[in-house]
Amino acid sequence: MPPTNNTVLSVVGASKSFGAKVALNGVDLSINSGEILALIGHNGAGKTTLIKAISGRIRLDAGEIRILDRKVGTDPSVRNLFGLVPQSIALYDHLTARENLEVLGRLCGVPAREIPAAVSSALEQMDLAERANDRTANLSGGMQRRLNIAAGTLHHPKLLLLDEPTVGVDLIAREGIHDQLRELRREGMAILLTTHDLEQAEELADRAAVIANGQVLAIGETRSLVSGIFGDGKELILTLVDDPDPSGVDFLESHNLSRVEGGMTWTGRVTGGFEQVSALSSGAASAGVIVDEIRVREPGLRGVFFHLTGSDLTP
Amino acid sequence: MLGMLRDRGALAMSFAVPAVFFLIFASIFAATSGENFQPRVAVADELESQWSQTLITILRDSTNLELMDGTYPADEVRRLVRRGAADAGLLIRDVSQANDSSASERSVPFTVVSDPSRGVATSVLTGQVQRAYARISLSSFLTRAPIVEEENVAGRDAGQNNIAYSAGAVAVLFLLLSAVHGAVTLFEERETGILERIVTGPGATVVLVNGKFLYLVVQGFVQVAVIFLVAWVVHGVDLPGHVWQWTLTTLAAAAAAAGLALAITTAFTTRQQAQTFANISVLILSALGGSMVPRFLMPRVLQEVGWVTPNAWALEAYTSIFWRDESAAALIVPVGLLVVAAILGLAIAQRLTRRLVAL
Repeated sequence: MPPTNNTVLSVVGASKSFGAKVALNGVDLSINSGEILALIGHNGAGKTTLIKAISGRIRLDAGEIRILDRKVGTDPSVRNLFGLVPQSIALYDHLTARENLEVLGRLCGVPAREIPAAVSSALEQMDLAERANDRTANLSGGMQRRLNIAAGTLHHPKLLLLDEPTVGVDLIAREGIHDQLRELRREGMAILLTTHDLEQAEELADRAAVIANGQVLAIGETRSLVSGIFGDGKELILTLVDDPDPSGVDFLESHNLSRVEGGMTWTGRVTGGFEQVSALSSGAASAGVIVDEIRVREPGLRGVFFHLTGSDLTP
Repeated sequence: MLGMLRDRGALAMSFAVPAVFFLIFASIFAATSGENFQPRVAVADELESQWSQTLITILRDSTNLELMDGTYPADEVRRLVRRGAADAGLLIRDVSQANDSSASERSVPFTVVSDPSRGVATSVLTGQVQRAYARISLSSFLTRAPIVEEENVAGRDAGQNNIAYSAGAVAVLFLLLSAVHGAVTLFEERETGILERIVTGPGATVVLVNGKFLYLVVQGFVQVAVIFLVAWVVHGVDLPGHVWQWTLTTLAAAAAAAGLALAITTAFTTRQQAQTFANISVLILSALGGSMVPRFLMPRVLQEVGWVTPNAWALEAYTSIFWRDESAAALIVPVGLLVVAAILGLAIAQRLTRRLVAL
């Protein structure tokens, strides 16, 4: 996606190696204001390295990163433009919610005279105003996550970087966090979040980027990514009882099915209806493939991820 | 246990360092048992006769004293004892009628210039003077014991001096321990991700480390204030009479403790290593610096080594204030060195924290 006037984050040709390990290999992506981009990938794919490079924690070997056209790593004013929400609950347990925001706000450069208003606004926005004077240790996991996000938005950044923002929270709490992120998006904030949760990415993100081995394999709107791979077809998922023998493997591969790495699941695309699936099932039995379960579903990011990487991404 | 076995630093801290620590402490405390105590003595010879020279030679040859080179004017001897450069002083008085040797044997008074809180030194010197006198007397069994007067030149009384010293000694020890405890929280902030959040902000690590430094200085100041307030209320140490000198010294000592604690803890990559090394360092510094045993009781070598510790300089300043009642000029060197230590420690901590964040 070429930069536009609304481009907040621009990553061009970002490369970084740690010794022999290539962490980033020519990553290109951009995010506009009022947009959520989900970065999806396995552990070790390069998500965290990219976040660190954007936040200036590491220096790239090649390429450049700009936030509102200011270059990361050389322009110190960049630090005021983004907020970081780490995966861990980066808060002081023994302080109250309000005290945490006051301390972290000052440490993140919010002027002292603006702190009270900024803190109150952030607590309201994250629906934590009633618990403002409770110690952080006494808040629920979901509230701590919301407070974690609030601490990253106190200084009204243009770009918010979230690393797995809903790890360990229940569905209701997660939905609350999603609502807050949608609100931030409505206010014009550009949001980059890394996640293993494909449902979250589908539900929340305007666009998704699949990253593996330091490279962005695909980036775009969820529907575009899906239609680019599945067309108007559906995703077929076969769960087998046993490993198939060579003839069984030939049969499955001849029907454009691919094995999900490390498991008994095979997946592919179907364009026909029930008849096609039924014929496939009969053929499998004839080929000695014992099928435990057949599912046909609307394709989503999970199917896209598997197609691109050959592996599944489970939260 | 596996965690420790795989952390070589923690292994060294847990098993090798305590042995080294014991060796250092054993050498300090063994030397302060009193058997090897040699008070440093300054001598003023007003008589300047062969007799007095012989007396001085006998004292110099004594293994129980360390006589300072040469002789000094009486006022200089008093100044040396008051400042602590000498543990005690000896004035060989010039008596006008002592022109013949027999008169000098009987009637020369000696004045032992003393610091009441170093009563051991005074006692040792008095005994050695009497012994030397007896040796050179022509008819020792008929000679009366020499007249030995004592002149106190420092502090009000031994008890008060010792209490003021103890307050300072304990204060500096706990300054360092508390500063270490506060500094180690940097690891907690790294573990929780707070450090990562802060380092990407506008202030980076500078803001965090400076903030911790200021907090530790304030905490240390209040801590020492509590100790000296108790010393004032319970034991009458004259804190109100020396409040601004005390304030200056305490701020400098607290800053030095904060800077050193931050520098030591940020030199390590794990909390366990940092905490263990820092605690042991504090104990060694405090032992060498006089927070556990008065430095004047230590061998000369250890006394000199002790000057590298913040404890020694803080105690030097407190001693000047409460013990010797010296002018503000006496604080320039100790307070100045404490401030330099604070600045150096803070600068090192800033640099090492950036490395800590990168790990």
